Amino acid sequence: MELDPKTMRTTKPGLKPVILTLIVPFSFILGFPLLWKSVEIYRSPLPFRGIEAFSSQLDSEPVHFRCQFQAMFLGFNFTASNDVAEAIINKMSLLNPNSSQCGNCGAYEVSVVIDSGSSCMRTENSKAQCPFKCGEEVAFFGGKLSDEDVDELLRGCLGNVDGGGNVYSVVVVNGGDKEAEVRAVVGKYRHAWILGRVLEEEALSRVAEIFAKVFMNGRSEGDSIRAEFMPVGADGRIVLSFSLLNAEPRDWIFDWNFREIDEILLQPVIQSLQPIANITVESQVLYHTQKSPFSYWDEVLGSHISSTKDLPFFVNSNEWHLDTSVAAGGRSKMLQLVVYIPSAKECPLRLELPNGDLSNTNGFISPMWGGVVVWNPQSCKKDLESKDSVKHMISTQDIQKFSGILMGQLRQLLGLKSDNLYVGQSGTYVLQGSEKGFTQWELDVLSRNHVCFNLYSCAATLGSLSRLVQSLPRMIITDEIGKKVMISLEAAKFAQSNASAGIYDASASSSRQARSLAEDSFFHPSIMSISYYSYWHSFIIYTPYFLLVMKPVIFPVLSEWKRYKQENMKFVAWKAKAK
Amino acid sequence: MEFCFLRILKLTMKVLVMLLLFLGNIKNSTAYFSSSSEATMHTNNWAVLVCTSRFWFNYRHMANTLSLYRTVKRLGIPDERIILMLADDMACNARNKYPAQVFNNENHRLNLYGDNVEVDYRGYEVTVENFLRVLTGRHETAVPRSKRLLSDEGSHILLYMTGHGGDEFLKFQDSEELQSHDLADAVKQMKEKGRFKELLIMVDTCQASTLFSQLQSPGVLAIGSSMKGENSYSHHLDSDVGVSVVDRFTFYTLAFFERLNIYDNASLSSLFNSYNPNLLMSTAYYRRDLYQRHLEEVPVTNFFGSVMETIHTDSAYTSLTNKNFGGAKTKTFLGQSFSSSDINSVRNSDDEDQFNNLTAEEDQHDEAGQCIFCAMDSGHLWSFILGNVSTHESVDFFVCYGLVLMLPLLVFSTWLSL
Repeated sequence: MELDPKTMRTTKPGLKPVILTLIVPFSFILGFPLLWKSVEIYRSPLPFRGIEAFSSQLDSEPVHFRCQFQAMFLGFNFTASNDVAEAIINKMSLLNPNSSQCGNCGAYEVSVVIDSGSSCMRTENSKAQCPFKCGEEVAFFGGKLSDEDVDELLRGCLGNVDGGGNVYSVVVVNGGDKEAEVRAVVGKYRHAWILGRVLEEEALSRVAEIFAKVFMNGRSEGDSIRAEFMPVGADGRIVLSFSLLNAEPRDWIFDWNFREIDEILLQPVIQSLQPIANITVESQVLYHTQKSPFSYWDEVLGSHISSTKDLPFFVNSNEWHLDTSVAAGGRSKMLQLVVYIPSAKECPLRLELPNGDLSNTNGFISPMWGGVVVWNPQSCKKDLESKDSVKHMISTQDIQKFSGILMGQLRQLLGLKSDNLYVGQSGTYVLQGSEKGFTQWELDVLSRNHVCFNLYSCAATLGSLSRLVQSLPRMIITDEIGKKVMISLEAAKFAQSNASAGIYDASASSSRQARSLAEDSFFHPSIMSISYYSYWHSFIIYTPYFLLVMKPVIFPVLSEWKRYKQENMKFVAWKAKAK
Repeated sequence: MEFCFLRILKLTMKVLVMLLLFLGNIKNSTAYFSSSSEATMHTNNWAVLVCTSRFWFNYRHMANTLSLYRTVKRLGIPDERIILMLADDMACNARNKYPAQVFNNENHRLNLYGDNVEVDYRGYEVTVENFLRVLTGRHETAVPRSKRLLSDEGSHILLYMTGHGGDEFLKFQDSEELQSHDLADAVKQMKEKGRFKELLIMVDTCQASTLFSQLQSPGVLAIGSSMKGENSYSHHLDSDVGVSVVDRFTFYTLAFFERLNIYDNASLSSLFNSYNPNLLMSTAYYRRDLYQRHLEEVPVTNFFGSVMETIHTDSAYTSLTNKNFGGAKTKTFLGQSFSSSDINSVRNSDDEDQFNNLTAEEDQHDEAGQCIFCAMDSGHLWSFILGNVSTHESVDFFVCYGLVLMLPLLVFSTWLSL
């Protein structure tokens, strides 16, 4: 039999070369997951569950602040102390129905001490001593000392003996002349006192009102925390920028001794606000800063009038270069406090209220921005045309005058009122002011509100971050972000536990830390670089490499397969012939 | 053979793509929700003005942006609240016949490059990355405040962009593209983080409307100069400068604003109705389905101006005035009458400057007393003296005692030196 080696072969072609060449692409496919893993983007593990649990916990039950209230009655004939406490709680819940809202005292307890002179009762949770010495002192000195001294006296005896400190207390002393007015004063620490002839029922209402309206929510009428009254930067800082604006330096130039203002006025305020925000102070004097709207001359009032409806345009942002700070960080909040000295042409300049009255402060604020005070020089006479302009120093009396207004504006920016009288449902209360700018109970209210705001903001930010991270699977997450998120969550938990323990300062500062770390991780610059990096980008980047690799991997398989088929044909042909 | 290879390649590519998509586990991102409350007040205005072109023949884009810059400044948005991104290569371009001047009209009445033009991102800083960083707020720590969009949940932001665009993209300086997805993503992140209350996006490019197609965040209003498939044309050529100096859409926008001042309350709908397709030679497109308010009720100054929410300050905080500001103004010699708050200045008598005296406060009496108390040994006497001082407020008494007490010290030291 003739065998044509070109068309036939006698042996079956071996599959070995085909298998050998197939091994390569096969191992390539096996190795593909490895390759995929090697090009994977590094993502630091974020505690998604923890974040979710934290925000759902905040949603379901708001932060509970522990508040302790103590009412001390002297010279009253109540029968049972527990009934009195019960009655006060009832009245408080009527006065402040949304106490469970965040920033309020969610969990509060009321203790009562009743000293009728002959007998003394107290509830079990009361820390005060029975008989109530402190009350006797107040009763003795009440009419004789000034309010400030009584305040100090109460602080001394309540703080040391009767569980003062974190407890809000009201001392009610029944006695004195029948004619004399009932005097109710709220001190600058955490206590208040009522002196005078009061009936049992009235005393209870007054105590409840002081607790619920003053101590609990700082006599604010609004029931919710408003974001515009939380002017603290995302990094927990506030920069107070004080500017003295000389509208027309050709008329007069005023200067101030800002260091004096800073040391005497601002440092105590900054110290007392320390838990809420890290405050720094800057000052500048600017010239040629005319305001925008025109004022008109009022003959009767003898001054130039700028009406309230012009106030939105008062700040002439093209000429007032206020935001010049170099020290303020990128996410700090800057509050401008501006003292505006009008030109001689417009002096004296007064602001008119919508009802036609003149403003007694001559100032206004803009929420989250700051405040402006118009200060008129004593005599509105222009300096004589002297070549070298003389700098006038603003006298300390004048500084004192407008620094009170500036302080009022700062308090207003933080959501507090500044008048020293509170007219409630059951009577009028005198509110002692503090030379630190904020009384202790006001600071507590601020702390509570800020803790709430910070925690909600922290939860929202972390929630956004976790959604963002999960929606962008190709985003790099550095370890730094992961770490910050962890610490932020921990700080938030710490703030919550401190809040429920009633330690407001620590709670406020750790909630601030939680918020600022959450913001830091959300705004981390490394997130940006990759956020618009889609799958098609990565596919297009890797395709060239794969194409090059594919050629030596796939071509041998194809050619071997082709050869095998040819050889097999030869074998088939030979077999057919052989038959 | 070739064909076969191609088929196999196609197949592998398909498999690869499938694999990629599968492994990636793409989640759709509809989980975003708006976290800002409706109750927030409109407290401030910001403007981000971007010119995405460079080179001389794109003169008109820079003129567009500078004109808008001038307008919003005139209507009250301060420089620190304007982010201006500009190639800024026209004013000092060698081909510019009017050095350091930029005009948007051939009558050359208004030099846009006059005074106080504060460019925040210039030249090669105008990149997609920087633009998205400005919007989302993700900056390096060293980036100064003036380059940041520091808006909050009460901000109204105007975002104006001009340059060369196409279907769902906008070119940045002929080297990069901003895609409609990128823009929508950035806006979504801004909304998520409460970086604006309302956002007006105004784009003057070809096929501008396509850039808005991916937006889905509430509170966003978008105006584009042209629909898909349309070009946006320049308005006129300045034969002196040699190039076109303004685009039609921007020109008619400016014409509308030139009639306005800071007090006007012309509504957004009147702005939108002022665009005449015949004059624009394109169809201005508004996307208002994400915007809740009625355009008839929204004044243009809500975005193009700056209106401050003001609250009158009812009362000063009077407690501060009790402080001893300048309580020790009259500094006198020993023996003359002292003001009570000068005790401190006795203590710090080497500090002669007046400022230190001013820090003396009434309520520091006790502290001062304690300090002297701990420094000196004869504590009882001192506390007695100080007690007297604070009760009787007789400083003469205090000074006399001080002098008497000096005597034994003097005797002691002379005895030592003998």
